[in-house]
Amino acid sequence: SLSEDVLATEEGADALLIGAYGALDGQNLGAGNWSVAADNWIYGSIAGGDAHKGSDGGDQPNINPIERYEADPSNGFFNDKWKAMYEGISRCNSTLTVLGKVEDISDDARARIMGEALFLRGHYYFELKRFFNNVPWIDENTEDVKQPNTTDIWPMIEEQFKTAMANLPEVQIDAGRANKSAAEAYLAKTYMYQKKYAEAKPLLENLIASGVTASGEPYGLLPGYSMNFNPEFENGPESVFAVQFSANDGSGGIQNSRQGSMLNFPYTKWCCGFFQPSFDLVNSYRTSDEGLPYLANYNQFPVKHDMGINSDEPFTLDDGPLDPRLDWTVGRRGIPYLGHGDHPGQRWIRDQAYAGPYSPKKNVYRESQADWAFDAGSWAPGTAINYEVIRFADIILWAAEVEVEIGSLDKAREYVNIIRERASNPDDFVKREDGSNAANYVVSTFDEPWTDQETAREIVRFERKLEFGMEGRRFFDLVRWGVADQVLNDYIDSESEKIIYLKGATFTSGQNEYYPIPQRQIDLSTKEGEPTLMQNPGYN
Amino acid sequence: QDRTITGTVYDINTKEALIGANVQIQGDPGGTVTDFDGEFSIQARTGDILVVSYIGYDAFDQEITAGKDNYEIGMAEGVLVDEVVVVGYGTQKKADLTGSVAVLDVKDMISQPTADVANQLQGRAAGVTVINSGQPGEAPKVRIRGINTFGNNNPLYVVDGVPTDNINTLNPNDIESMQVLKDASSASIYGARASNGVIIITTKNGEKGKVKVSLNSFYGRQVPKKGNVWDIMKPIDQANLKWLALKNSGKPLDDAQYGSGPTPTLPDFIQPNGASRDEVDFDKYFINPKNANDPKTYRIVEANKEGTDWFHEIFNPAPMMSHNLSVSGGDENSTFLISGSYFDQKGTMINTYLKRYTLRANSKFNIGEHVRVGENLALSFTDNPRTGILSEGSPIGMAYRIKPIIPVYDYYGKNYAGTFGSGLGNAHNPVALAERTRNNKGHSKKVFGNVFGEVDFLKNFTFRTSIGGALANGSYHSFSYPTYERSENTLSNSFSESSWYNINWTWTNTVNYTLERDIHSLKVLLGTEAYHNSGREVGGTTQDYFSFDPNFTNLGTGAGQKSNYSYGYEDALYSLIGRVDYTLNQKYIVSGTLRRDGSSRFAERNRYGVFPAVSAGWRISQESFMAGTGNWLSDLKIRGGWGIMGNQINIGGDNAFTTFSSALSNTFYDITGSNSSLRLGYRKNRIGNPDAKWESNINSNIGFDATLFDGRFDMTLDYYRKDVEDLLYSPELAGTAGTSTPPTVNIASMTNSGIDLFAGTRGDLTSDLSYNLSLTFTSYKNEIVSIADGVDYFGQTSLRFSDPIIRNQVGSSISAFYGYNIIGFWDTEAEIEAANQKAQQVTGNENTEYQTAIGLGRFKYEDTNGDGIITPDDRQILGNPNPDFSYGLNVGLNYKDFDLSVFFYGVQGNTIFNYVRWWTDFYPSFVGAKSYTALNKSWTPDNKNAVVAIQEDNGNFSTNGVPNSYYLEDGSYFRAKNIILGYTLPVNITRKFSSTNLRIYLQATNLFTATKYSGIDPEISGSDTSFGIDAGAYPTQKEFIFGINLSF
Repeated sequence: SLSEDVLATEEGADALLIGAYGALDGQNLGAGNWSVAADNWIYGSIAGGDAHKGSDGGDQPNINPIERYEADPSNGFFNDKWKAMYEGISRCNSTLTVLGKVEDISDDARARIMGEALFLRGHYYFELKRFFNNVPWIDENTEDVKQPNTTDIWPMIEEQFKTAMANLPEVQIDAGRANKSAAEAYLAKTYMYQKKYAEAKPLLENLIASGVTASGEPYGLLPGYSMNFNPEFENGPESVFAVQFSANDGSGGIQNSRQGSMLNFPYTKWCCGFFQPSFDLVNSYRTSDEGLPYLANYNQFPVKHDMGINSDEPFTLDDGPLDPRLDWTVGRRGIPYLGHGDHPGQRWIRDQAYAGPYSPKKNVYRESQADWAFDAGSWAPGTAINYEVIRFADIILWAAEVEVEIGSLDKAREYVNIIRERASNPDDFVKREDGSNAANYVVSTFDEPWTDQETAREIVRFERKLEFGMEGRRFFDLVRWGVADQVLNDYIDSESEKIIYLKGATFTSGQNEYYPIPQRQIDLSTKEGEPTLMQNPGYN
Repeated sequence: QDRTITGTVYDINTKEALIGANVQIQGDPGGTVTDFDGEFSIQARTGDILVVSYIGYDAFDQEITAGKDNYEIGMAEGVLVDEVVVVGYGTQKKADLTGSVAVLDVKDMISQPTADVANQLQGRAAGVTVINSGQPGEAPKVRIRGINTFGNNNPLYVVDGVPTDNINTLNPNDIESMQVLKDASSASIYGARASNGVIIITTKNGEKGKVKVSLNSFYGRQVPKKGNVWDIMKPIDQANLKWLALKNSGKPLDDAQYGSGPTPTLPDFIQPNGASRDEVDFDKYFINPKNANDPKTYRIVEANKEGTDWFHEIFNPAPMMSHNLSVSGGDENSTFLISGSYFDQKGTMINTYLKRYTLRANSKFNIGEHVRVGENLALSFTDNPRTGILSEGSPIGMAYRIKPIIPVYDYYGKNYAGTFGSGLGNAHNPVALAERTRNNKGHSKKVFGNVFGEVDFLKNFTFRTSIGGALANGSYHSFSYPTYERSENTLSNSFSESSWYNINWTWTNTVNYTLERDIHSLKVLLGTEAYHNSGREVGGTTQDYFSFDPNFTNLGTGAGQKSNYSYGYEDALYSLIGRVDYTLNQKYIVSGTLRRDGSSRFAERNRYGVFPAVSAGWRISQESFMAGTGNWLSDLKIRGGWGIMGNQINIGGDNAFTTFSSALSNTFYDITGSNSSLRLGYRKNRIGNPDAKWESNINSNIGFDATLFDGRFDMTLDYYRKDVEDLLYSPELAGTAGTSTPPTVNIASMTNSGIDLFAGTRGDLTSDLSYNLSLTFTSYKNEIVSIADGVDYFGQTSLRFSDPIIRNQVGSSISAFYGYNIIGFWDTEAEIEAANQKAQQVTGNENTEYQTAIGLGRFKYEDTNGDGIITPDDRQILGNPNPDFSYGLNVGLNYKDFDLSVFFYGVQGNTIFNYVRWWTDFYPSFVGAKSYTALNKSWTPDNKNAVVAIQEDNGNFSTNGVPNSYYLEDGSYFRAKNIILGYTLPVNITRKFSSTNLRIYLQATNLFTATKYSGIDPEISGSDTSFGIDAGAYPTQKEFIFGINLSF
C-alpha cells in the first residue's frame, strides 16, 4: 500500500483515475458479482420484461422477487449495487483530491484527468439516480458521508457532464477513455431521463453531425448490427462509451472479463443458464410480411418455440417473417449459436418448464474468437465483450424521441429508418454453414409518413425495444416514459401463461419505478439514533 | 534383635518402582532411600513400624512381623495440599493460589488418542470449551470462559516459559504439567495477550536415577458412522418426489430421465439422457478428460437404480497409530530427556490424513550450587492434507447434494460419472473431487524451544533468563484438474505452489525474591520480556499444462497465464512484569500483578498499556474456630480477584494509516481496449485510525477450593464476570464511504459470566478395588453489550439465503441464529384469504399479501410484532449455538492389575442450524439428492400434519428462501468419548525381562453419542461470530485401539 503523498504526481492521479474506470464493472468491490453487473441484466432487462432469471427456481433466489416486483429493502442485491456505485464515486473523489495536490502537471493533463473523473462520477450517480431516485450526494469536499437523500441530484449530474465537456479533449489518449463527445452524449441521456427534450435536441443533433469517438473517428452505425457484440469491432464508430472488458489478461481470474455476466450462458455447454429471454421479447421480433413490427398485438403472432420438446425429438423452426435482430439477441433452438453449433433447445436449458426455451446471446463469445475473447479462468465463462453504456444507435433513437415530442414526425421516422436500414443489411443476417439465412428475415423501413404523434411515439419506443433487447435498458426506458405500470402488468398477464411463477405478480405504480433504498444503508446512516436516509415510497 | 529387612516400593497403580522413597523406622531419625529399582534394605526388628514416604504419595506404615523379611510396599498417590502449580513466570503452592487456575490431569488427558493437545482438553478442564472435528489435524476451537472478542479468541499458550499461539506440533507424551489460567489475577501477568486466557505447559525432563526408557504405542482402527446419515432417498423415490413437486406446481409430468406419464420410471442409462440399453451406441464412447467440450465426446453412464451411498463412497474405515519412545535420566548435576514420536492417522475420508514426527531433547545442568542452565528443544515435521468442512462445496457437501442415481464411475469404469445430463443437478462427484487432490502435497516443519539460565544470588534472590521461540516453515503445492463429468465443467487446469516461513523469539529476564520469616511469606517477581515475530510467504499459480503428470507440473512448465504473490509481516512487544505474593500465617493471602506492554500494532499515542490485577484468599480451614471440623474438612479457601487483561491481536499494523493499493482484479483496467492487457490503477483501500488501542477485559472472579475427608473429595467452584471493553471492531461504513477497508476502532463491548466447577473424589472400595471420579462443569453466558454507534447488529453467513443466518446483536449472545419463526402451515385457502384481508386493511392496498408468497402448504410465519403483516421486522433470534453448559465426567477403577477408565463428555442447550436440510428437504433447493422427509413428511392436502412445507417446483420466501426456524435443532449431546481397559503385568513377571512396567490396553472412543440432533454429528464448529451451522461436518468416528506402555 502507498500513502497519498506518494501518489500526488501526474502518473499517480492518472492511476487513481484508472482505478475509477476499474470500478465500472462493479466487480471485486466486496459487493457481489452479477448483482452489480455493468450491463444491468437483472434490473434493466429482467425487470423490464426482456428476460427471465433463468436457471432453476432455487438458484439465486434474490432475483426472483426482483422479477416479481416484490423485492424488499433487505434484498442484498440492492445493497451490492449501492456499494459498488459509491465505491466508483469514492475513487473519482480520491482522484480529484489527489489531483488537487499535484503540482508538476500541465494544464491540459489536469483538465483531462478532472474531466474524466467528473464524467465517471456523473455515470455512477446516473446509475444511482435511475435505480434509487433519492440518493445522497458525496463529492471530494464532503466530510461526513452520512448525508441525507432528500435533494434531487439531477442538477448535480448535469453539472458533472457539463464540466466534463468543458475540460475533456475531443480525441483521447486511449480508446477506452471518455472524451468530450461522450460527456455530451451522457448529458443528453441525462436530459432524456428528465424529458428535457429541448435541452437534449441540440446536443443530439451536434453529436449526429460531428460527434467523434475517443479515437477521433466520427460517430456512425457499424455496418452490421451484430458487430456491436463482437469484440473484434469494439471501440468503433458506434461506441460512445463502453465498459472495457479483457480476457486472459494476467489477473488469474475473470474479474475483468465481464464477470457480472458469467451466469448468462446456455447450460451444460457452459454454466449456468441464467438470463433467459422472454416469450414476449421473442414475439416482438415478429414482422409483418412487409417487414414492419406489430406494435401492440405481436403476441398474437407468436414465434414457434420448443417448450416441452426434448432435444432429441424433432422440431421445425418458425418460418414466418422475423426481424433479423432476433437471432443476434436470443439463442433459440435450431439457429446457429455463434459458431458453437445450432442451439439444441432443451439440452442447453436448465429447466425449460421454469424459465422458457431461450438463451441469451449478446454476451456470449464467438467460437472463432475463443482463443482470445474467452477466459476459462473461473467456473463460469469470462469474455472480452465490452458493454456499450451508450452506443450511437442510442443517440439516433433519442433524437427520434425528441422529434416525436417537440419536432417533426418525419424527422423522427428518418432516424428510426436509419436504425432499421442497418438492421436489414443481409450480410449481417445469421447464416447457416451453406450461406443461407437461418430463418425468414424480413425487415424494412417505415416508408409511409407518420401522421399521428401517439403512434409515432409507440413506434420509436418499440424500435428501442428491438434494437436494445437484452442490453439492460428496457426497465429504465419504461420508467422514464412513464409507462412501466401498464406495459409491465400487461407483460405479466401474457407471459405468466407460460412462465407460471409470474402468476400473481404485480407492478405497483408509484413504488416499483424505483428500487428500495437498501435497508442496510438506512441502518448504517444512523446518526444520533436517527437514520439520515429515507426509504422510497411504498417500501416501508 | 535387629535384622536386615528388604523390600520394594512401587506405585500401586502403575506398578512402577519408586526411586528415592524415604524408608524410616518410626521414632528413629535415620533411614534409607530406595534405589533405582525401588528396593531398599534397612535394619529393624519385629514390631517396628516402617514409615515409607514419597513426595506426592500418601505415607505408608508397615509393621515388621516375625519371620517376614521382605515387603512389597504399594504406595498410592496422595492428595497434595502442598502441590506446586506452575503459574505465570514461576510456581506457587496450590494452597496459596488466589486466582482461578485449572490443573489438568495430564495422564488422563493424553489418553485421548489424537495428536493435538488442544483436542485432548475437551471436557478435562472446567472453564474450557473445546469444539473438535473428526478430521485429522483440524484445529480445534479452544475457548476459555466464553468468547471475548469479535476477532481472535484463541488462548495464549506458554510452553516452558515461551509464549506461542499454537501447540499443534507438541507431542502430548512430552507434557509434564498443564494448567489453565482463567481469570485476571492469574493471567493478566501476560498483559496484552492474556484476554483469552493462558494455558501453561511444562515439558518433561529426566529424573535423578537410572536411565529410564519408555515406549508408548497404539494401533487402532477408525470406523465412520454407518447407515444413511442424511436420510437420502433411493433413486425411484427421488423421481417420485419430482412428480409430487411438479403436480403441486401444476406442471406437466415430464422429465428427460424419468419419462412422462402418471408415474416416473428409472432409466437404464442417464447418459445418454434416459436411454435404454438399445439406445446406447457403445462404439461411440469417448471421453477427453482434458476437454469436456471435445466434439467427439460421447458419455455412457448407467443409472444406479439402487442408489449410490455417496457418504460411504468417500468415508471408509481407516487405521491410526502412534509410537513414542523416550529415554531419560540424570544424576546430581544433570538431567536429560530425549523423546521421539511418530503419529499417523489416516482420515476416514479419502485423501485426508495427519502424519507427524516429533523429536524432543530437554536437559538441565547444575553448575555448582547456585547456577543452573538448561534447554528445551522440540522439532516437528507435519504432513496434513485436509478437506473443507462445513462447506457445501467440499466433498462432504457434495456427498449430500449429488443424486444417488449417479454412479461413481461411468459405464466402462474408466472415467468418473457426474451430473452431466438432463435433470441431474450441478453437484460435483465427491469421489472425483477428493481423489483429484491426491497429488496435492505439503508439509510444515517447526523448531520450538528455549535455553535458560538461573543464578541464585545474595540470599533470597534468583535471576533467570530465557531466550526461546519458534522457527517454522512450510510449503504446499496443488493441481487443479479440468473436469468433464459435471454439468458445469471447469475447462482450465492450473498448478499452484506456495511457501512460507515464520520466526519469532521471546527473551525473558526475571528476578525472584523469596522471604519466609515467622508467619510471613513474601515473594516478589520483577522482569522484562521482549517478543518479535516476523515472516514471509510467497506463491504462484500457472495455468494450462500439457501434461498433468506430477513429475512434470511446476510453476515453470505451464503454458498459460502465470500469477504470483508474496507478502511479509512483522510485529513486536516489549513488556515490564511485576508480581507480589504475600501470605500471613498461612491463612491470609494477597497477590498483585502489574504488566506494562508496548505493542508495535498500535500507533505511537496508544502504544503502551498497563494491566493490573489484585486478588486475595482466606484459608478458613486454618482458623482456630474451624478446629472442630478437621475430621472432615481438610482444607477450605475462599478467594477473589479483579484485574484487567488485554488483547492486541485483532488489529493489523497498518490500521493507523490511510492507504492506497492496486489489484489486477479490481483497480486495473483495459483502458486501451486491447482485450488482453491491463493498465495499472490505484484506489483508496484503507481508511486509517491512529487512535486504536487495547481491548481490555475487566475480570472479576470469586471462588472457593475445598478438600474433604482426608483428601478423598475435593472441589473448586468459581464464578466470574468479564466486561470486555474497547473491543476492536471494524464497523461497516456507510456505503457512501466506498468499500475501503474500514478502520478498526475501539467501540464494541460484551460481557461473559459463568460458573466453572471441578469436583473429584477417590478412594478404596476394598483393598483390591479403588476408584476415582472427577467432574468438570463449564458454563458461560455471552452478551453483546454494544457494537458501534447506530449499529446494533451485524449479520454473517447467508449461504443460499437472501438474508444472513447469523445476527450478532446487542443484547443477545454472539453468533445467534436469526430469522422467521414458523408457527405452522397454511392449511386452507380460507385461512390465507382471512390473513390477506387483515393485512389489506392494515396497508390499505388490495394487493397486499399477509406474507410474501403466501400459499397452501407453505410455512406460516409468526407475526412477532402483531401488526397483521409479515415484514422483516418479524424476524427474531431463533437460537444460540453457545451451550448452556458442557461437562466432562471421568470414572476410573482399579482392580488388582486391571484398570478401567471411562470418560464422558456432554454439551447441553446449544442450537444447531442444520443447513444440510435446506438441500435435502426442499425439492426446489437445486436439483440434487433429497431426503425421505421431503417425500413422506411434506405438506399435502392429505397430509396436513406435516414436518416440512409443500414440495414445489420453485422456492420462495415462504418455503426455502429465507432463514427460518425449520433448520433449528437442539444440539445437546452426551458422548462416551473414551473407554480404556488396561492390564498391567505383575511386577514379578515384568522384572524377569528387566522391565519396570508393562501395561497393555484396549480402548474405544466415541463409542456412542446420545443426541436428538438429526444431522451427522452435533459437534459443529465455525468462526466465533458465526458458528453452529452444519453444512456438512467431518463426523467424529468410532476408534478401536490396542495399546502398550512399556518402560525399563
